[in-house]
Amino acid sequence: MSPVLQVRDYALDYVTRDGTQRVLQDISLAIEAGEVLGLVGESGSGKTSLAWAIMRHLPGNAREAPGGRIHLGGTDLVAASSKALETIRGRRMSMVFQDPSTALNPTLTIGRQVSEVLVRHRGLSEKEAWRAATEALEHVDLRDAAGLMKRYPHQASGGEKQRVVIATAFACRPELIVFDEPTTALDVITGARILELFGRLRAETGVAALYISHDLALVSRVADRVAILERGRIVEEAPADRIFTAPTQDYTRRLVAAVPRPDHRLVGDQVTGETLLRAEAIAVRYGRKRLFRAAPAAATEDVTLDIRRGEILGVVGESGSGKSSIARALTGLADYDGVITLGGRRIDRTGGMDRAYRRAVQIVFQHPDSSLNPRQTVADILARPLRLYGGDVSTVPALLEQVRLPAGHARRYPHQLSGGEKQRVAIARAFAARPALVICDEITAPLDVSVQASVVELLLGLRDTHGTAYLFITHDLNLVRQIAHRIVVMRAGAIVDLLDIDAVRQGNVSPYTRQLMAASPAPVG
Amino acid sequence: MIDALRRLWRTPQGVLGSVLLAVLILACLLGGVLAPYSPEAMDFAGRFAAPSARHWLGADQLGRDVLSRLLVGARSTVPLAVAATFSGALVGACVGTLSAYLGGRWDEAITRTIDAVMAIPHLLLALILVSTLGKGSANAALAIAVSVAPSMARVTRSVALAVRQQDYVKAAIARGEGGAWIVLREMLPNVAAPLIIEATIRVAFAIMLFATLSFLGLGAQPPASEWGLMVSEGRRFMHQAPWVIVAPALAIATTAICFNLLGDGLRDALNPRDER
Repeated sequence: MSPVLQVRDYALDYVTRDGTQRVLQDISLAIEAGEVLGLVGESGSGKTSLAWAIMRHLPGNAREAPGGRIHLGGTDLVAASSKALETIRGRRMSMVFQDPSTALNPTLTIGRQVSEVLVRHRGLSEKEAWRAATEALEHVDLRDAAGLMKRYPHQASGGEKQRVVIATAFACRPELIVFDEPTTALDVITGARILELFGRLRAETGVAALYISHDLALVSRVADRVAILERGRIVEEAPADRIFTAPTQDYTRRLVAAVPRPDHRLVGDQVTGETLLRAEAIAVRYGRKRLFRAAPAAATEDVTLDIRRGEILGVVGESGSGKSSIARALTGLADYDGVITLGGRRIDRTGGMDRAYRRAVQIVFQHPDSSLNPRQTVADILARPLRLYGGDVSTVPALLEQVRLPAGHARRYPHQLSGGEKQRVAIARAFAARPALVICDEITAPLDVSVQASVVELLLGLRDTHGTAYLFITHDLNLVRQIAHRIVVMRAGAIVDLLDIDAVRQGNVSPYTRQLMAASPAPVG
Repeated sequence: MIDALRRLWRTPQGVLGSVLLAVLILACLLGGVLAPYSPEAMDFAGRFAAPSARHWLGADQLGRDVLSRLLVGARSTVPLAVAATFSGALVGACVGTLSAYLGGRWDEAITRTIDAVMAIPHLLLALILVSTLGKGSANAALAIAVSVAPSMARVTRSVALAVRQQDYVKAAIARGEGGAWIVLREMLPNVAAPLIIEATIRVAFAIMLFATLSFLGLGAQPPASEWGLMVSEGRRFMHQAPWVIVAPALAIATTAICFNLLGDGLRDALNPRDER
């Protein structure tokens, strides 16, 4: 039987201002009917370009090398006219995008968008299409499908929207579906349910799928075979279970080694020292009461936690659980009710945070792109806390060395650095203040898995030298189980669990935490 | 700065804008020397002389050489308009950024005040100011600066609101920086690019406003050869001798285009992220 999708010797260039840049090279792959091929690569490896090449929707500056072939069933997609492609896209192959909030048109009802596909490709009348669309939504386990059809995308949750996108993709029974990181923008538990749904639909329809992700652990559970893409080349292709147990290439081995495994602890010591910082009954509210509007609900309510000297306290929760609000309260970025105690001093409002407190509690933000001022050089950025808190400006090269960046980077601007390098500069800035506590707000989330591993390693090294405590906020339970001494699990603004890591290991956890753990299983092998 | 200029000259808009600006600066500096005649030399025999080898751009109702008047008039037109726009823009930028930084009630108060000032038409505002302060070019320039400031404050505020959300501003607050540092050193450089573009485009409006004030007898006074004044004086002879009005009008238009092109070029040049 011939494969559903066959790509042979495909190469792609982008023409930029300073010459052509090769993004894909010697790509050959095949997907059989009913098979899922996982495509894993770090950012910039060309995985999304490949998806768009298959969907035949390349940007204007893309140049395909002659000789490359992409076949869907018996159809040559490279040679197909745009007219022919219109009948293929959506009908014979479709795509599920990363961010469901931008994949749906905000000005059309969900029903219009789903039924449009059916009218267009299956030639149904408006009425039949509406009925079929409702059925399609019911089929992806959406409650009240008929009601949802009349709603606009902003009236649905992220998980619901992604189900709608999936329902649309499956609506015409395509031969091939391209998934581009379909769970990355979703919460862990929502993402896990989407994957369950995908498994079921796949078994029912026998569709072939290309599943693109940066998450090797996730892909190895979803896909039958996994292809590893490095800088536009497929370096290894193997059955999913073999990628983890017996990787043959160096690059794959490095990727596998960088995937966090909860049972592999990176921190060996126990912390039993004195309490460094105590936060009591912290409540954060955004927005204020207005004349015609009541005060909005609190983002966090009655959160009490303490951090010991040199301790790593992990904070886990889904988006909107209030974990970032805690970070904002502790750094004086959001007004709070409650009391923060640092070294015996009580602080009950942001105005009471003096320079000594600000110096002791530093924060590293999630996005290094936005946390470094693009108009300042690295030297300026690092010199500022030194001037502010009384340090020697000539130690900037030493600060850079501490985060393993060459001293020459001091003259660069943030945009001249890679994502990982930027995050290192942000870490160096926090450590320039010689802090007692560093709050890490999802600092590894935007980074590639191998970069993430090196940043974590760097943080642990800095802790060994300076004895700094960390409040490590993340949604990655596996990562936090590797490094934290204690874990706080948050949900809807309240603490669900505050546990020693040993208790987590023994499974002494609340049902919600267990659910979270089940949704982020350890990699196979 | 050198880098930004080099990047400016890599774009066609930047090159053309710079060349035009150089011509303007040359006219401002050496206008009097380059002019073939005195701008005030009258010649009643040569009234409304058409453009010819003698008078390249013709002569006006008093027989004065239009080219000479344009060259000399550049000095009393362009520098004042530029200075007025940029001082107004600077004040507006600081107010707008401060408003975005403070947020909440302060933002509300500042924005409403700006709205109230903007509700008064520019010309009326300028008229009130000039008639209170007295006639003359310097006061006219001040009036233009005041009328530019509120709209620049609005533009800045909208850009600064986005910058306010950036983590580097939050990092500065968390670090315990003062308001002045955050507004002037963290935020203002990041709103500068759109501002400079907006301000360069507004120079054209400033020249027009300046011309209007002169026309109404409140700005430059005759026999000065300010371009706006030349347009308004030539207006009466439009059918008889169109060159009298076309030449200064073209000069104003060219200046406007020059600053627009420069604004476009600067937008690319001032954004170090676009360096490829």
